[in-house]
Amino acid sequence: MSITSISEVEFGVDLPAFEPDTSLETASKFATLVGWGGARFTDHEAARKEGLPGAMVPGILSQGYLVAMIHNWAPSAEVKSIDTVFRAAVIADEKHQITGVVTDINEDDKLVEIDITVANEKGETRVFGTASVQIP
Amino acid sequence: MDQDIETLRDEYLNQDFDEKSFDIDPDITIEYARLCGETANRFLDKNDPDFQAPPTFIASLSGGRSLPKGFPRFGIGMDAGKGVECFSPIKPGQAVIGRTHLHDIYTKTGRSGRMVFTVSRIEFFDQAGTHLANADSRIVMREKAK
Amino acid sequence: MLLDLHTHSIKSDDGRAKVENYCQWIKAKNIPIDGFVLTEHRQFDAESDYSDLAEKFGLTILKASEVETEYGHVLVYGVTEALTQAFDFSSIELSLERVLEVSEAHGAVAVPCHPGRPRVGMFAHTEELGIPKGVKIVEIYNGGSRDKEDQIAIDNAQSLGYLGVGGSDSHIVSHIGRCATRFDDAIENIDDLVAALKTGKFEAVTLKESV
Repeated sequence: MSITSISEVEFGVDLPAFEPDTSLETASKFATLVGWGGARFTDHEAARKEGLPGAMVPGILSQGYLVAMIHNWAPSAEVKSIDTVFRAAVIADEKHQITGVVTDINEDDKLVEIDITVANEKGETRVFGTASVQIP
Repeated sequence: MDQDIETLRDEYLNQDFDEKSFDIDPDITIEYARLCGETANRFLDKNDPDFQAPPTFIASLSGGRSLPKGFPRFGIGMDAGKGVECFSPIKPGQAVIGRTHLHDIYTKTGRSGRMVFTVSRIEFFDQAGTHLANADSRIVMREKAK
Repeated sequence: MLLDLHTHSIKSDDGRAKVENYCQWIKAKNIPIDGFVLTEHRQFDAESDYSDLAEKFGLTILKASEVETEYGHVLVYGVTEALTQAFDFSSIELSLERVLEVSEAHGAVAVPCHPGRPRVGMFAHTEELGIPKGVKIVEIYNGGSRDKEDQIAIDNAQSLGYLGVGGSDSHIVSHIGRCATRFDDAIENIDDLVAALKTGKFEAVTLKESV
């Protein structure tokens, strides 16, 4: 269900979760697009040689997914800030889930705070953070 | 706080060490938005009256240097996190200026030596000098045990 | 009584949660805890007073610290001003045995946290550094644990005869209450908590499935 106004936002509500495209193909395309074409984002074997468990999804792509989730939930939302902590690598070609939940509503300033998480199939948090969005 | 870190804070924090002009290419911002899963026209359609770069796009922009000249390299740096603060939309097709300063330096436990965290902030301005956004990059460097 | 013994607020450098939002979350989501302890990184937050929030939301809100030693991170409950003078809470090179000893001397209780975690957990260092003296309690359930970290903590605690506590290690609002500690007695203040930890009348609880 899409949100069009802050009056529709409820504390504690979960944003519609989605499974992002964490394929190596997308991670690799993205990394190349932003000029981060190193092996750690484009090749599993080469990433392992660097000591990683596999090629990673770039952190800012994870951040982009989180914002897309917010926009899909509230198309008129303006992201005022987003801060993400990278706890562990998001490995490409592994399934992950992106979740968000409303943790603060300021009706005067029309600001909503959202806890955001990227977790792997085992439910382990790989990226977490908060976003502050303005909803009319 | 460790004395060497205190000294670095005194010497380097909040001083611009880099300035760079970025041409915001609409084709790149559209592809960026698409790969992130954005579906709104304002990120995907050049003809949309509110066409703009996705809010996290600026986190992908790098200045000429990520750390000030002379700042010690404690070890290999890994991405520890990103933050973005948006004041006004970034409009593709325009040039923006990014000025970088070291915003914070701190340490945490490492098994073999310290982990030194740095937060570099790029402040983005349009040609008129309007402050559009900030992008923070947290880098962690694992220091080798002495 | 169920308390989350390990949480962080915006006072911690990587914390993103405001305490009031923790309280709102617990009530709105019926998180089955009676309160929580703020264990801010490398500091004791002497300034903040959460008594109004505690009263408003009917929760027990206590303050403690998470410090850093050669064996990883350690929670310290019962921090006094004198204790903050006895060692540098902001140092990342504390000696675990000294933290344990000094805490005890000041009536506080120090508990190695996430001991099964690489690098920042106690059991990652015992092979190299030996079993530290003075440990009585470790955190066996941590809400941020990955892989087999909790099981490593449980197995080692059992073989060494340590008691176990639980805490969420939450850094964002929605992660509070994932793990907690059940106490036989009512806990209204930090002295009650310290006394309860010293009696050993508690049990670590994981609530990860239900929150």
